[in-house]
Amino acid sequence: MYRVARAAGVACVASDTCFHCAAPLPASGSWSGEVDGALRAFCCAGCLAVARTIRSAGLEAYYRDRPAAASKPPRPDDTRGGWAHDNGIARRAGLLLPRAGGDADAALLLEGMTCGACVWLLEAWLARVDGVRSAHVNLALRRAQVRIDPARVTLGTLLDAVARIGYVAHPYDASRRDALARNEARVMLRRTVIAWLAMMQVMMLALPLYIGDDGVTIEQRRLLDWASVTLTLPVMLYCAGPFFRAAWANVRARRLGMDVPVATALAAAFAASVVATLNGTGVTYYDSITMFVALLLTARAIELHARQRAADALDFTARALPATAERYAAWPDRTSLETVSADLLARNDVVLLRPGAAIPSDGRVIEGASHVDESWLTGESVPRARAAGDTVLAGAVNLESMLVVRVDEPVDATQLAALTRLVQNAADARPPIARLADRIAGRFVGAMLAVAAVSALCWLIVEPSRALAVTFAVLAVSCPCALSLATPATLASAAGALARRRIVLTRPEALEALAHVTTMAFDKTGTLTHGRLELACFEALRPITLDRALAIAAALEHGSEHPLARAIRTRAHRAAVANDIAMTPGLGVEGEVSGVRWRLGRADFAGGRDDTGAALPTACTAVVLGDAQGPVALFGFADTPREDARETIELLRGAGVRSLLLSGDRCGAVEATARALAIGDARAALTPMAKRDAIVALQDRHDVVAMVGDGINDAPALATADVAVSLGSATPLAQCTADVVVLSGRLSDIPAALALARRAHRIVRQNLAWALLYNAVAVPAAALGLVSPSIAAIGMSLSSLVVIANALRAARIPGV
Amino acid sequence: MEILLLLLPLSVVLVFVIGAAFWWSVGSGQFDDLESPAYRVLADEDRIEPLDPDQSSAAGHGHS
Repeated sequence: MYRVARAAGVACVASDTCFHCAAPLPASGSWSGEVDGALRAFCCAGCLAVARTIRSAGLEAYYRDRPAAASKPPRPDDTRGGWAHDNGIARRAGLLLPRAGGDADAALLLEGMTCGACVWLLEAWLARVDGVRSAHVNLALRRAQVRIDPARVTLGTLLDAVARIGYVAHPYDASRRDALARNEARVMLRRTVIAWLAMMQVMMLALPLYIGDDGVTIEQRRLLDWASVTLTLPVMLYCAGPFFRAAWANVRARRLGMDVPVATALAAAFAASVVATLNGTGVTYYDSITMFVALLLTARAIELHARQRAADALDFTARALPATAERYAAWPDRTSLETVSADLLARNDVVLLRPGAAIPSDGRVIEGASHVDESWLTGESVPRARAAGDTVLAGAVNLESMLVVRVDEPVDATQLAALTRLVQNAADARPPIARLADRIAGRFVGAMLAVAAVSALCWLIVEPSRALAVTFAVLAVSCPCALSLATPATLASAAGALARRRIVLTRPEALEALAHVTTMAFDKTGTLTHGRLELACFEALRPITLDRALAIAAALEHGSEHPLARAIRTRAHRAAVANDIAMTPGLGVEGEVSGVRWRLGRADFAGGRDDTGAALPTACTAVVLGDAQGPVALFGFADTPREDARETIELLRGAGVRSLLLSGDRCGAVEATARALAIGDARAALTPMAKRDAIVALQDRHDVVAMVGDGINDAPALATADVAVSLGSATPLAQCTADVVVLSGRLSDIPAALALARRAHRIVRQNLAWALLYNAVAVPAAALGLVSPSIAAIGMSLSSLVVIANALRAARIPGV
Repeated sequence: MEILLLLLPLSVVLVFVIGAAFWWSVGSGQFDDLESPAYRVLADEDRIEPLDPDQSSAAGHGHS
């Protein structure tokens, strides 16, 4: 980190020329970066980037051979040195994402966050930094999404600002996050179990005093106290560390977090107990202290576990990509195969994909043929055939045989990366309900401190001997954790549970909006239906079997990419051989099969008559097979509904949500689908704008409308709807405007997501109600001296556990 | 009851020993993955899993 570099006394080499290209430095200011152990000045970001590349490749001897060489070797941790103050490089490294109006988004990975209050503290603090437009901190991912004006503030300034209030920030890097998560879990486990161990021992030592003072001599009493203080000391110094650190950071930033009363109570009780032990008289609270810490840490440990699980689920996209790739350094030289980090792949690199390997980046097959599983990205469960010329997507898995692929996009520009960014941006921003909870928690803690001070004063006047116990009880018993801890935990758990089902949220408000949905509008083609034509009916007008008719049709359509041709070929078991094929665009195709001349296509073309298709259901597209004597057979093709479409509509009806079909398709087809799925309200032949207007009309009636759709046709409707849902197989454009992306591609996941969103919403409200009730009862009781310190410790900890346990329910998907 | 003078400090020392042992066991990664070792026992193959924490956490993702 840049700060380390300065502290270690890295020489800053004064120069008026660029360290790399020796050009004069611009008068307006130069770039600087640590190269060869010193902070160097560069004329431009490009020079610095080159110098960094040289450095990271271990080729710094180039610089050392020059007269201005420095002797200090570079420290590996300092690789982030100068560039943290150069937004140009940060942007190129993908750490700053350009936004509208010249702003940029920076992602920071944060260490040392303990609770929702830290989120609030960090957000408020960062927002004060000059040049920061907004800061969103995510507890689940321990990341901060900071929107900055790159002209006024650099990434390095942000890192410094975060360090000043007791946290450590790194620019985001996925592999580092894994190590951090593991370390955090280990430390939490140590703290919790050691606190429990100490608590059990201290309880045992306190038992004689609980039973009664009669049998205990003064000497034995002192022995017990000294043993207790020895056991409590590690609890105070190590286990309770996070509470004190968080409280201290709060105090320094002049903010009130939920750890302030906890830390105050612990410090006061411990100090009083130690004084009593030293004097040999007075009450000690070691049992309450250890129990308080042990139970609180248990609640935090559970919350941490849930948070990490949710974060893991949200990080699915990073895990879908391989870390390395096999690249041909000099294609088409096949001996030049080398293994490189997938991040280093650039456009037009050629990589080898072995069977079973995941594809590192979007690209185009140039050699080989195989099937790939793209279900990660498109929700399409059937493996797709891919041969030379076909595109493959990052994250897909090569199933059968080797492929050679030319990379189209670097890894961070793939569709998968774009979706990951969307999802993580959404997880980073805090939904309004969580922000509200944080605000209330801050005021609540302030009020609690005031109540504790007032009650301490009153008891000092009335009965000084109990003043300390009462103050401790008041501080310990109040529980803002339902607000600060449980609300973000609920939302993160719910998002994690959805992500495990491969449903991702791209907007923070999506979960809340989804919980309120009253009407769900569906697009037809590709959403409720498969979006591809299938043979729905067949009619022989003269004696011919279906097999034979299909064989002839398939032979005639051989090589055609028309959807109808594909549908025929999919269905035909065997194809005859056709010669002399001639196609008439818009009408059909004709050719010779086994010496007979056949025509396939529109009724007037193939059968010589116009009315042949009239017998078919209106939903079908008619294709006639005919010979010189007239029509022989009639195929009806239709777009069939997805298997789970009917179930989905029924589930939604059961949940009290009205379904609506908005389609741009013909009346007949739409009516047939609506009938098959029992949708009462179906509107056909709508333009994209008409779809949008239909949604606006519903919203005017105070309906909360979700639109499920795909494709360019639906973009205005998706943008207008309160919640936009797109199925995984939808086009990237729809994914960008969608709030909820169902990557699994299963329609029946939509009611599941709805149920989960409603439940998460209910849990948040339950927790807030519980917090209100508990505090309203417990705080006055403690202030009146009715609650002993140990009961207060149990009460607050149990309340914490109740709200956390309730929050965890959000991770379960109802009915699964 | 003079024996308490010996036993009480002894019990405190014992707690510290247990605490230290637990500290070490967490640090050595024994609690990082509580799921997959149970399955690993059932695997028939006589191969030794790598103990490197990065490797074992990567292997554990399948369960999370």
